[in-house]
Amino acid sequence: MRITFPHLGSSHIAVEAFLRGLGHEPITPPPTSRRTPELGAFHSPAEVCLPFKIVLGNMLEGIEQGADCVLMIGGWGPCRLGYYGEIQRLLLQALGQQVQFITLEVPRGNYGKYWTHFRQLTAVTRPGDLVRGARLSWAKLNALEELETLALQSRPVEKQRGLTTQYLEGSLRRLQQAESVQEIESVLSWARLGFSDLRDPAKPSPLRVGLVGEIYTVVEAFCNLRLEERLGHLGVEVVRTISLAEWVTNHIFKKAVGLFSLAPLRRLAAGYLTGFIGGHGLESVARSVALARQNLDGIVHILPLSCMPEVVARGILPRVSRDHQVPVLSLVVDEHTGECGFQTRLEAFVDLVRRRVEHLGPRGQARLPGR
Amino acid sequence: MTVSPPTNQEILELGLASCVDGACLPIKAFLGHIQFLVRQGLSLLFVPRLVSLFREEYTCPNLLGLPDLVRSYVPSGVQLLSVEVDARRGRAHLPCTYLRWGLEFADLPTVIQAYRRAQWAQRKVNTTHWRYGSLPRPSVLLVGPRYLLDDPYLTANIQEKLEQLGVQVSTASQLPDRVTVKASRFLEKRPFWTATRRSMGSLQYWRHHIDGVISLAPFGCGAEAMQGVLLAQHLKGRDLPYLELYLDEHSSPVGLLTRLEAFCDLLERKRSG
Repeated sequence: MRITFPHLGSSHIAVEAFLRGLGHEPITPPPTSRRTPELGAFHSPAEVCLPFKIVLGNMLEGIEQGADCVLMIGGWGPCRLGYYGEIQRLLLQALGQQVQFITLEVPRGNYGKYWTHFRQLTAVTRPGDLVRGARLSWAKLNALEELETLALQSRPVEKQRGLTTQYLEGSLRRLQQAESVQEIESVLSWARLGFSDLRDPAKPSPLRVGLVGEIYTVVEAFCNLRLEERLGHLGVEVVRTISLAEWVTNHIFKKAVGLFSLAPLRRLAAGYLTGFIGGHGLESVARSVALARQNLDGIVHILPLSCMPEVVARGILPRVSRDHQVPVLSLVVDEHTGECGFQTRLEAFVDLVRRRVEHLGPRGQARLPGR
Repeated sequence: MTVSPPTNQEILELGLASCVDGACLPIKAFLGHIQFLVRQGLSLLFVPRLVSLFREEYTCPNLLGLPDLVRSYVPSGVQLLSVEVDARRGRAHLPCTYLRWGLEFADLPTVIQAYRRAQWAQRKVNTTHWRYGSLPRPSVLLVGPRYLLDDPYLTANIQEKLEQLGVQVSTASQLPDRVTVKASRFLEKRPFWTATRRSMGSLQYWRHHIDGVISLAPFGCGAEAMQGVLLAQHLKGRDLPYLELYLDEHSSPVGLLTRLEAFCDLLERKRSG
């Protein structure tokens, strides 16, 4: 089958490898552009969140390129993501697209349907190829996360503005072409050296700001208007709290066998949030507390408009900010978010954080006025 | 025990002034009620954590985090009583939570008696409410979350207005869960929000007895945005008029009335051929 799938950050590199292992032809949709959310929003209900619209746009663009099957992840609530796939299937059907729609989720209800989908996905592969593909895909996923983390660390102290982004793109391209785990290793070791070459030792150590929020808006650069890059260019090292590999481990492998536990997150969020509220709501609060305990200089919280779990988190984060003495900026994005206003808010926030750190002494002793 | 009065202008404004923006209208109104009670000097508030009302389903993320959200907006001296209502954990979980919670205040026989009495009262309300089978014509099905539909102030008295316009109103809450669960099986993927499952189930159950569907949803409600697509797909080619209304604090009752009148005119014209 010619399978298309929505973008999620740079995860297409890993998904491509996995689909090849399954013996299918991956049709990666073109990189998300202005057209993607426009296309998606045109066919979606007005009130759904931005990720839904972009994902639908990705699917439509993938189908335009000749895909005959759409792969999507599902779930069982309470976040809307769990129902995305079903609604998108209906919308594609209403548009007259003759495509197979496969949702990956923990089976519930109609088991026959899941079994058929499973058979379709694994029909043409041999066990050896499957294992090789899965290993390659897993290695690529971990590698791309490491590359992105390295970029986050070197961007605020780069020798020349824009070098890191350029180098990251090159490394990701090479990672995409890698065909064995050894090749991935060599790309990684080259990149480690390359990124350290980009750093200017004369620059002062950067501010450190944590990034929490809804996974799609955190990971997808188009959706958050290249937030990480913007912060990096303002001289801030972004500490990501959301990792795709971790998400896959927790929500696909551990949940499937019932080993996934929320206890560590609940312990962190104790006093702020009692339990799971869907999506990344609990994570946002818990990770904010963890970041504050690690004495980061600030926290940026990003969410799509009308995201239900994150709205709750947004209501609670000011209390975390007050109790732990850490500035928090909540940013809401939708398809109408303007770049200039976004940039202004980030600059103002970074100025505030910088002045606070300069004024109140080194990290860890900084306190908000009045306390 | 003090119960806050039905939502009014003052309460809603209290809520709007304090609540995080991005929350839906009922949540804002709820925080208004909380603020109203806090202003009266109450220091112990009952805010349950409604995780799930039916097995394999959730209420909504906002309700899941409601006590925690409320705690952010009340002074530190105010205590919250939060019982966790989670029907996903099996039949016995609900009574057990109530009993454990009640034991903090009274001894076991009193708690059991109180629980029985509460159950009996609820059953009585339900049985007078249920409405099976055919409906008087012309009839309109009003779908949407119950915490919005049952609040006359927030919905600008829509049920009464429709009845004044000569239309019978029925809602999803008039059908017991076992009926709507069975009726909603036609969907390929069962919705995991109770309100959506009830709406879709009641629509399927009454599809031959109603003349129109009105969907009432708070602006910014994620579940309702998805439900809109399900409803539109289901009603396609069925010749049932469908009106979608989104409510927030800026909705005007007059504009709402105009749309309802237009909708009722449409029903009238359709009936007279």
